[in-house]
Amino acid sequence: MRAVFDYVRVVADSDSSILITGETGTGKELIANLIHQASHRRHKPFVPVSCAIFAETLIESELFGHERGAFTGAIKDRPGRFEMAEGGTIFLDDVDDVPMSVQVKLLRVLQNRVIERVGSTRALPVDVRTVTGTKRDLRQLVAEGKFREDLYYRLNVIPITLPPLRERREDIPLLADHFLKRFYQRREQQARPLSPGVLQAFMRYPWPGNVRELENACERIAQTCTCDTVKIGCVPISVLFHRSTELAEPVIETHSHPSSVSLEERLRDVEQGLITWALKVAGGNKSKAAELLQIKRSTLGDRIKKLGLPDYGDEGSRSAATD
Amino acid sequence: MVTKEQVEVVVARIRPFIQNDGGDIELVDVSGNKATVRMSGNCVGCPSASMTLFMGLEQALRDEVPGFEELVVV
Repeated sequence: MRAVFDYVRVVADSDSSILITGETGTGKELIANLIHQASHRRHKPFVPVSCAIFAETLIESELFGHERGAFTGAIKDRPGRFEMAEGGTIFLDDVDDVPMSVQVKLLRVLQNRVIERVGSTRALPVDVRTVTGTKRDLRQLVAEGKFREDLYYRLNVIPITLPPLRERREDIPLLADHFLKRFYQRREQQARPLSPGVLQAFMRYPWPGNVRELENACERIAQTCTCDTVKIGCVPISVLFHRSTELAEPVIETHSHPSSVSLEERLRDVEQGLITWALKVAGGNKSKAAELLQIKRSTLGDRIKKLGLPDYGDEGSRSAATD
Repeated sequence: MVTKEQVEVVVARIRPFIQNDGGDIELVDVSGNKATVRMSGNCVGCPSASMTLFMGLEQALRDEVPGFEELVVV
């Protein structure tokens, strides 16, 4: 993540298009704003547009504006987002949702740096830096024929990939700390530390909504928890009762992202998944679990310790598991 | 009919977190569509928090164990 910030500082001042790829909640708009603030355009407007919220026919007039009478309901001239961003930066989020017909026009705008309002033949020159955001891998959409290849290359001059939170778990405590401080401050209260159990739950949860979801969880905690230490009862139920800790079979997702992959981390996840699965199937009996995994009982013990897995097998069903 | 194993799988999911906070949760009994658990230690936090945890556990059991109806804490 630090590398991303360093990179942003380097590329901010150029005028090249930037494509930010990242799952929902990873901070695409934040990075886009950062790029704008670090560039020489910072005193001009930063205009974020989510291309996902407009119906197909509306996107065009939203981006490029329209003239009075261009279509039913167009009662007066209206500038588009590109015009509003004149001299500054436009951030087109969810660019993968832009329909093919508008993609052509977008390409023309980026290439010629002129826009035409809907219903107008007058070409207006614009000086706007484009930053785009996407949840999906545009390269793959290009391969599937759902995204124009020429537009992809036009947008993807400088690629930035934001890692999902589950691939940078070491940042979870830092982020949680930061959000809690902020939310408690808003209530004019001292921030409370997280208990070890809560931290463990946070580290284990896969955070499909990424940083935004973590922020939301912290806000909920700050609103409801009145204890000296944030304990397990104050953690949102969805985080606590998530099934990820007891996968039936370890899932290995195919990695279509262009981002880098940490082999160590991936292997650790697989190992953790398999051991948890074996312990569950064996009813917490480590000898049986070791047999299932075709390793020695002592090796299993070592690995459990190394991974920091809870010994709930031994604690939870001591009567059943007589090692 | 709800079995002890079905309930234990769900309880086991949160037990490590509670133990890490110096408490414990124990499945005392399962009879009919009802399960009884015992929570010990100052594990959960404030009173409203233990309520949240209790309701969360009951909801999770209802979602995942077919026919499950009631959770009792002793």
